[in-house]
Amino acid sequence: MTVRLLFGAVVLVIFFAAPHFLAEFQLFQVCLIAATALVVLGIVVVTGIAGQISLAQAAFVGLGGYGPAILAARYGVPVWAGIMITAVVVGAVGYALGQLTLRVSGHYLALATMAFTAIVQLAFIHSDAVTGGAVGMQMPTLEISGKTFASGGTLYYVVLPVVGVLFLAVHNLIHSPVGRAFAAIRQSETAAAAMGIDVLAHKSAAFAASGFLGAIGGGLLGLLSTYLDPSQFGITQAVYYLAVAVVGGMQSPLGAIVGSAVFVLVPEFLQAFQTYLGLVFALLLLVFIVLRPNGLVSLASDLLRIVGGKQQRGAA
Amino acid sequence: MTSALLTIQNLTVRFGGLVALDDVSLDIAPRSIQAVIGPNGAGKSTLINVATGIYGATSGRVDYDGARIDGRAPHAISRLGIARTFQNTELFGEMSALENVMIGADRHMCGSYLSSAMHGPAYWRTEQAIRAEARRLLELVGLGNDTDVEAAALPFGKQRRLEIARALATRPRLLLLDEPAAGLRSAEIDELNSILLDLRANLGLTILVIDHVMALVMAISDHITVLNFGRKIAEGSPQEVRSSPEVIKAYLGEKAAHASHS
Ligand SMILES: Nc1ncnc2c1ncn2[C@@H]1O[C@H](COP(=O)(O)OP(=O)(O)O)[C@@H](O)[C@H]1O
Ligand SMILES: [Mg+2]
Repeated sequence: MTVRLLFGAVVLVIFFAAPHFLAEFQLFQVCLIAATALVVLGIVVVTGIAGQISLAQAAFVGLGGYGPAILAARYGVPVWAGIMITAVVVGAVGYALGQLTLRVSGHYLALATMAFTAIVQLAFIHSDAVTGGAVGMQMPTLEISGKTFASGGTLYYVVLPVVGVLFLAVHNLIHSPVGRAFAAIRQSETAAAAMGIDVLAHKSAAFAASGFLGAIGGGLLGLLSTYLDPSQFGITQAVYYLAVAVVGGMQSPLGAIVGSAVFVLVPEFLQAFQTYLGLVFALLLLVFIVLRPNGLVSLASDLLRIVGGKQQRGAA
Repeated sequence: MTSALLTIQNLTVRFGGLVALDDVSLDIAPRSIQAVIGPNGAGKSTLINVATGIYGATSGRVDYDGARIDGRAPHAISRLGIARTFQNTELFGEMSALENVMIGADRHMCGSYLSSAMHGPAYWRTEQAIRAEARRLLELVGLGNDTDVEAAALPFGKQRRLEIARALATRPRLLLLDEPAAGLRSAEIDELNSILLDLRANLGLTILVIDHVMALVMAISDHITVLNFGRKIAEGSPQEVRSSPEVIKAYLGEKAAHASHS
């Protein structure tokens, strides 16, 4: 318990200290990493833990952006409320998509969720009157009780707490009977069902969680980029999110953060290679699938084990 | 006559042209230990798979505790109090032995999604209770020292016992064991026998054991049913079954049957 409190205190200190040391642009990047990590956290839950391959995340992100934008433009709903309403609705859509797993699994599930992303993107592009069509639409500015949050420096105080709380909740869920049931389903559906676990309901719940997290992440990403471009919510982007999860590590929330940091920061260091960025990411994905299927996080835990082993030998 | 806990009536299961079970009937009395034996391919696993909802019946029916269960979903049948093990073990391989058993216990104690997400005091209490229950069951099957070992890393004999502990964690009234003795050494079989007898004595469990040889089941069964090519060819006490010419024929071929008559 004291360890938890201490950890919480350290996190709070860093949270309030960071804005004094980081430039506006760097705070923006921290927000970008956090929002991306939230999107990828959805993949960690549904694919990494529950074992259901999903290429629907880009669609959830798109819906999470368009939802509050449309609600604000048409009905004057405040953006923060729009993001929450949309996330609940997208969670329900995720649940419905999860019912698909009654009929399809494995590669076919990947294809079905990919089709879902393609269809949602087509809907964005062809509903000109509502979404602005291929041109896209403006994401309204976040306002909470008279204050506007438009820059990296101000959004920081919204994005980080939201992402932090959701990460904590998901971390707790993973280490609870619900998370154990997800992991059980990944390892043997037959045995999970024999333990009394309603496999279909749990798979659907995992999809619902990925939809909810993807939509909140999408709303935050929309606030950061201020513009919704339908070309950003297609199959390529779905694969991108999956790649972030693979590189970071599918099995833990930490992997989502590590992967997102890599994918947001690497392009900064590789300015000169802009044109080849896609290639760099594709190679990264391949290398990790072959050499390190549990991602960068597993590298850290392996290192810890090696260091720990050395210490033990040193002591003996 | 006391009414049976599990009743299988005229059960037939076909896979395409293949008849895996042919008009098989079977009653399992409460608190009994019963066995189904038969050569490979006789339809023994199919019987358990229908009783646990993995396969449907082509015709006939299965009733448990007065309600029809064939065709229901496996998780629903589990919740009625029927637990099973698998012939080729179906463990959660990446999890520790303890976690495997905890999953069986979760349903009886887990709180709401909200308390799971918040990890409040109530959550920690139930989590401790689940852990304690799982540890107790592992000790019961002799795996008290293996709680933190990854299930896939356990030797085969221990994997089988882990499956029994996991099945018990669902708090069943009826336990269906698919060839629990396969691949065990005779000392291990004796251990298993005494575990099963204890379970009946202490928890009042009803147990159905499947085996393809008679070694395990002879010593502990009240009643044995023999299947061959999907049909019931004999049933009765271990002594009756052992001396049945039909059974000797099925197991040893025609020659032995003639030899035993002459
Ligand atoms: N899912 C299935 N599809 C097709 N045939 C099956 C299936 N399950 C079992 N069988 C067949 O049914 C017969 C009985 O199998 P099984 O019940 O596993 O026998 P046992 O457990 O007695 O060795 C075998 O011929 C087997 O090949
Ligand atoms: Mg079998």
